[in-house]
Amino acid sequence: MASLLDASKPRINCSMLSQHIGRGVCFVGRVEKVHPTGKTFSVSDGEGKSATVELNEPLEEELSGIVEVIGMVSSKGVITTTTYNILREDKGIPFDLELYNEALKVIHDFPQYYPFEVAASG
Amino acid sequence: MWNQGGYSESSMAGGYTQSPGGFASPALSQGGEKKGRTRANQIIPCTVSQLMSASQADESFRVGDVDVAQVTIVGVIRSTDKSMTNIQYKVDDMTGAPMDVKQWVDTEDQSVDSTVLPPGTYVKVSGNLRSFQNHRSVVAFSVRPLEDMNEITSHMLEVVQAHMALSKPQTMSAAGGGMSSSAMPMSRPTMGGMDGNAGGYAGANDMTNNGLSANQNQVLCLIRSCPEPQGISIQELKKRLGSMSIAVIKQAVEFLSNEGHIFSTIDEDHYKSTDSDD
Repeated sequence: MASLLDASKPRINCSMLSQHIGRGVCFVGRVEKVHPTGKTFSVSDGEGKSATVELNEPLEEELSGIVEVIGMVSSKGVITTTTYNILREDKGIPFDLELYNEALKVIHDFPQYYPFEVAASG
Repeated sequence: MWNQGGYSESSMAGGYTQSPGGFASPALSQGGEKKGRTRANQIIPCTVSQLMSASQADESFRVGDVDVAQVTIVGVIRSTDKSMTNIQYKVDDMTGAPMDVKQWVDTEDQSVDSTVLPPGTYVKVSGNLRSFQNHRSVVAFSVRPLEDMNEITSHMLEVVQAHMALSKPQTMSAAGGGMSSSAMPMSRPTMGGMDGNAGGYAGANDMTNNGLSANQNQVLCLIRSCPEPQGISIQELKKRLGSMSIAVIKQAVEFLSNEGHIFSTIDEDHYKSTDSDD
């Protein structure tokens, strides 16, 4: 799974999950519900849609706020986590998830200016 | 968000600042100096994938149509390695494998903070793209941890905007029917400027490449192509743009003037472009 980090991880939201099945992705969303086992939780994206995230190890910390999950999308649309990172909002500046969603649309509309893979150089 | 430590520190002469006329003008106006001279006077927001795919000629790099030397990337630190003289980070912005970033440490200079930032920290790296034995890296003059995570979002948008604005113009499908401009005009980058609505981004097909409407683009093109030192008059514009009313032309002229694309010359009826075609 370490090799997933060494490849590109397109930033996506829930509507793009189905197009990335079997691929590594980067999903940024708000933590919604954490399962009592701590091995799975739900996240919502900037459009309000939800996805399920699975972990290899149960959570050791209280998870809330905005999280950036890197993992692979399973055939059921569940993200199996390689690693995750909490986007800190402790400086008093909230993360604008809706705006991030708009930016996602932009980078996917202009892949020539925001490539998610390394092209062969000239 | 714009003023928060974003560009105040990277304000190289003629660099990526919000000056009227846009950051593209130093490049465009130096048309004559292009050959055989490194244009390291712009700092360009990039993705790691762009830096890795950039073509190289001698010491200069090119991403598509855009020359890159000084760049900014925004990503998360995956690993660190500190030695006596430098700190090496691997910075991951999701577009590919993490990029090597080297930051020199001046052990004599007490004012420079040489504390290593831990993995998991989101940073904005400003530095120069380097290639050594086919291995690409960024030699950073600044590695700043993000305090406002919205900078991730703004960097994504700035990358698209910068590379789009600096690239050779493609035929604009939406803009006023079959008119081409010889250089890419650029409006002041604002979040809300992507389309006219307050509600957000309407999609790539609904807008011209430079954020100007079809009418504004036509007016701007005519003004730019005028070789007269006193510029072109509103009356002349009306003659050439028969289908546009004087009121609409005046509206476009006022907008373009406010955005810094044009300026008045001998009187309020004559205008020249800030990015001339000469």
